[in-house]
Amino acid sequence: MDEVIAIGLTKRFDDLTAVDHIDLNVPEGSIYGLLGPNGAGKSTTLRLLCTLLRPDEGTASVGGFDIIESPVKIREITGVLPEEGNHTLYQTLSSYENLEYFGKLYDIPEDEIPSRIEELLSFMGLWERKDDPAGELSTGNRQRLALCRALLHRPKVLLLDEPTSALDPIAAKRVRELILSLAEKYKQTFFINSHNLAEVQRICDSIAIIDEGKILLSGNTKELRSRLQASQSYRIRVANDLEGALLVAKSMDFVKSVDKEVDSITVTIEDPDSNNSFLMQSLLSKGIKIIEFAEEEATLEDLYLDVIKGGAE
Amino acid sequence: MALHKSMLVARADLKMAMKVSYVKYGLIAIVSLGPIMLVGLVFLIALLDPATAAATLTMMDPLLSPMLGILAIIPASLISANALVGEREQSTLEPLLCTPLTDRELLIGKALSSLIPAITLLLGSILITEISTIMILLYVGAEVVLFPGVASLFLLLTAGPTLILAIVSVMILISGRVKRVYEAYQTSGATVFIFVIPMMLPMVSMDASGNVDMNLVWLSNIVTFLVCLLLALITWALAIGRFNRDKMVSM
Repeated sequence: MDEVIAIGLTKRFDDLTAVDHIDLNVPEGSIYGLLGPNGAGKSTTLRLLCTLLRPDEGTASVGGFDIIESPVKIREITGVLPEEGNHTLYQTLSSYENLEYFGKLYDIPEDEIPSRIEELLSFMGLWERKDDPAGELSTGNRQRLALCRALLHRPKVLLLDEPTSALDPIAAKRVRELILSLAEKYKQTFFINSHNLAEVQRICDSIAIIDEGKILLSGNTKELRSRLQASQSYRIRVANDLEGALLVAKSMDFVKSVDKEVDSITVTIEDPDSNNSFLMQSLLSKGIKIIEFAEEEATLEDLYLDVIKGGAE
Repeated sequence: MALHKSMLVARADLKMAMKVSYVKYGLIAIVSLGPIMLVGLVFLIALLDPATAAATLTMMDPLLSPMLGILAIIPASLISANALVGEREQSTLEPLLCTPLTDRELLIGKALSSLIPAITLLLGSILITEISTIMILLYVGAEVVLFPGVASLFLLLTAGPTLILAIVSVMILISGRVKRVYEAYQTSGATVFIFVIPMMLPMVSMDASGNVDMNLVWLSNIVTFLVCLLLALITWALAIGRFNRDKMVSM
């Protein structure tokens, strides 16, 4: 069953069509990523789904409830992390008070609120900071606290807008791990807005790419990746004989291109799942010591270019 | 509709406002001005001529007592400006609008967060002025009168709360149109001056000795109350009817 469904969803602001007849299907219990650059329509889509905005055309449902007819029901079953979530906390209230206030607004039984707050704050590593005003926490901690607020009422669907933006790599990694563990533990459905392709590739089951309010491409992450990138670039860092590694790589039929750098080569390989191991074995058999064999992260820009060039709709 | 949720919103708003020292002490300072000025005046009048103090205070009452209302209403305009426009400016409005609060619960909560402190401060300032006046008059052996008098008490206790509600409603109405808190302050500040009507109107009837026609005082106070009531009813109905989450978020 699909937890989030949008059909022809459209939102206009004066002359600007921020969301242009988009269709979405987010399966229950999945992690869905909506990718796009700034101004693509991601946040507007999320705001439509959490009933903050009313669509001009089309319809959508979340958890089986229509966004026009049952907005309060939708707000009961969704947890929202708004854009720049770390700025959306009450700065003068403590971490605990911020969560307590929202716990009451979400009608969590009074006697359950303290235990839920303790569980979440402990899980996020913030229990020791529970009495500190939110305004005194670091950006990363505030983001985690905002995430706690979205999770407190155990929503069926989590709508997260750029959950790792403004976070340092370690904090971003922790948030990603947290999303994965929550998805596994509570079987919640996640709808994540992001402009970070690498992040979405790591955690999302399905993705859609949006630009200028239109969905350019959508589907299962693995399928899309193989469809978009039949060949993949890898950086191979070696401890010795860089020239030898270059010759070996160039001699392979499945290697489409090779670029030499100071201590490594970057190769583009066709059908990497089948050919990577063969390339590695060939390098090792020539006595070349491989220090690193790493996938080069494709940028969102590359994906867009692929979509536009290939006309993949 | 769950009133307890509105109370939650109001309590949280008050708690946050009271955590900021300059807000807390600023509000108290504004409201203290009224009793300080009036009690000071009573003290001077009573001390200079205890025999005529009661008559002088009765004559001055209609012109001065509405000041207590104005000074108690100003905090309501400040709090209500912060309640919606301020929340949006501080980016805290969006998570609040994502909760299951209905529009009505949210707006009543925001109204209560201004009404409760403003009415408390108004009652406090009236009580302090009355008690201090009685004590001063007793101390100097003068005839005891109420200051504010009955007509002014009627004005303060009826028109005061309704004007506060009107100000909150105006604030809700303009919250989808103004971007910054200071713009909201200016609009709400203008509304306060309705209370100038009962201060000015009785002067028309003032004779050479400074006496005012009490019938006109009562009439102007009743008219002021009715103006405030009408304003409160119209603006509240419009605020509830026209409140638009879409507009609040889109700005």
